[in-house]
Amino acid sequence: MDTFAQAIISGLVFGAIYAIMTMGLTLVYGCLRTLNMAQGAFGMVGGYAAWVITTDMGAPPIVGLIVGALAAAGVGMLTHFISIRPLVGRKDIDFEMTAYISTLVVAIVFSAAIILMFGARNKAIEPLIDGRLTIFGTVTVAWQQIAVAVVAFLCLGGLSLMLSKSRQGLSIMAVAQQFDAAKLMGVPAGRVYWVTMALAGLLGGIAGVLLAPLYFVSPSAGDLPILKGLTVAVVAGLGSIRGTIYAAFIIGLIETLVATYVGSLWSLPVLFAIIVVFMVVRPYGLFGKPEEERL
Amino acid sequence: MLEVTGLRAGYGAATVLEDVSISVDEGKFVVVTGPNGHGKTTLLRVLSGLLPVNSGEITFLGERLNGRSASSIVGRGLVHIPQGDLLFVDLTVEQNLYMGAYLRDAWKGRRERIRRVYELFPRLEERRTQQARTLSGGERRMLGIGRGLMSNARMLMVDEPALGLAPVLVQEVYATLDKIARSEATVLLVEETLANARDIADYVYLMDTGRIVHQGTMAEFGEDVLASTYLGNSGS
Repeated sequence: MDTFAQAIISGLVFGAIYAIMTMGLTLVYGCLRTLNMAQGAFGMVGGYAAWVITTDMGAPPIVGLIVGALAAAGVGMLTHFISIRPLVGRKDIDFEMTAYISTLVVAIVFSAAIILMFGARNKAIEPLIDGRLTIFGTVTVAWQQIAVAVVAFLCLGGLSLMLSKSRQGLSIMAVAQQFDAAKLMGVPAGRVYWVTMALAGLLGGIAGVLLAPLYFVSPSAGDLPILKGLTVAVVAGLGSIRGTIYAAFIIGLIETLVATYVGSLWSLPVLFAIIVVFMVVRPYGLFGKPEEERL
Repeated sequence: MLEVTGLRAGYGAATVLEDVSISVDEGKFVVVTGPNGHGKTTLLRVLSGLLPVNSGEITFLGERLNGRSASSIVGRGLVHIPQGDLLFVDLTVEQNLYMGAYLRDAWKGRRERIRRVYELFPRLEERRTQQARTLSGGERRMLGIGRGLMSNARMLMVDEPALGLAPVLVQEVYATLDKIARSEATVLLVEETLANARDIADYVYLMDTGRIVHQGTMAEFGEDVLASTYLGNSGS
């Protein structure tokens, strides 16, 4: 029973991080209609920025989180101008596929640049907060896990407020849903694109800094998160915002339950099996709509 | 207010509009009519900056609009309410309306604007928290028009507002457009069935195969003019 409770708790914590991470993928897919394969790299860069600021410069972890998120937002914007913007509106290419490849390549370049700058060795990073809270019996929660849950909750809450109320947020939703009408309302599509990529970077960066103390900061730290993010996106149905949150928790729970009861080596194969099953049985995911039309 | 002279435009190599000239004075209700597929919608898409101008001149309130972005044209108060509404279907009614006030100047006054839209369309206020996809056809049309009014519109270009509506609703929509033309903004209407706008149109342009073939006040538009165009023997 205690083991089960423990697995559920850490499943929910991972789910919360995946939700933030995948929300970046979802927003970009909704707005730009391409998969941004650099989403994991945003988290990796965020982790390094946080590591530099906390370990080298001795700043408190919360500052690391903020700096990591902002650095990743900058990298998100940079990715847009390097690898997406030059492709937008070109008639001679398949935008979705080309942008998918170019963002993947940019992610590889970022990893390589990080190796040149900081070396290939893993770096350990301090959690936001130390210690554990005992809930009952032997069930304990690390304060870090609670901090992650709080940060994730604030992020998702803030994001949903932004998307439903603010001028910029609504314009992201509008471009995703009805491109022509958004232009007729005066929305400059080009700006919405880079704002969305910066936001995706911000979310990726936050997820990266939250994951860093659980693993390490390393040049390949973005690889697993993007795989998990893609799994969540496949289960949710690409582009579905509410679906992304549910699916993130489902995947987080499955992952920790498999790791706890079957063995942690099995959690990735199970996730991949889920991708295959969904691709065959329900390619538009649990919450997506079959082949949404776009003008 | 709006002057279009010698406009040529189309999609890529396919020219749809040939030498179109129209003029709309402030406070008037002007209709562009003609059979389906003869360039009326294309004309509005060019005026709102969705399609480029090949040659000719567009001026609005004394400013040249050629080559301007859709966003800057809306900013000048020339607002296009597209055919088929093109709503943001997953957003709520209220969010759709606020999107209509996207530009910074309009955004500041959005709460006051939305009250006026709700006065014009009380049904939208009842449905304000519903997703646009749950609305009926008539309500969608109201939302499309209301969203256009949320901007600082000086002139509304409305494309086929009767399309797909029951006759009762068509009358309602036209009564509202008449009210808008008298109190809110000048209206340029594209309408295939001229009879719908019979009582409110000040001036009518008849468009056929991308050209203006006839123009005049409603009184000058006899049945014979319309019949000849719709029966396909205009110019013969």
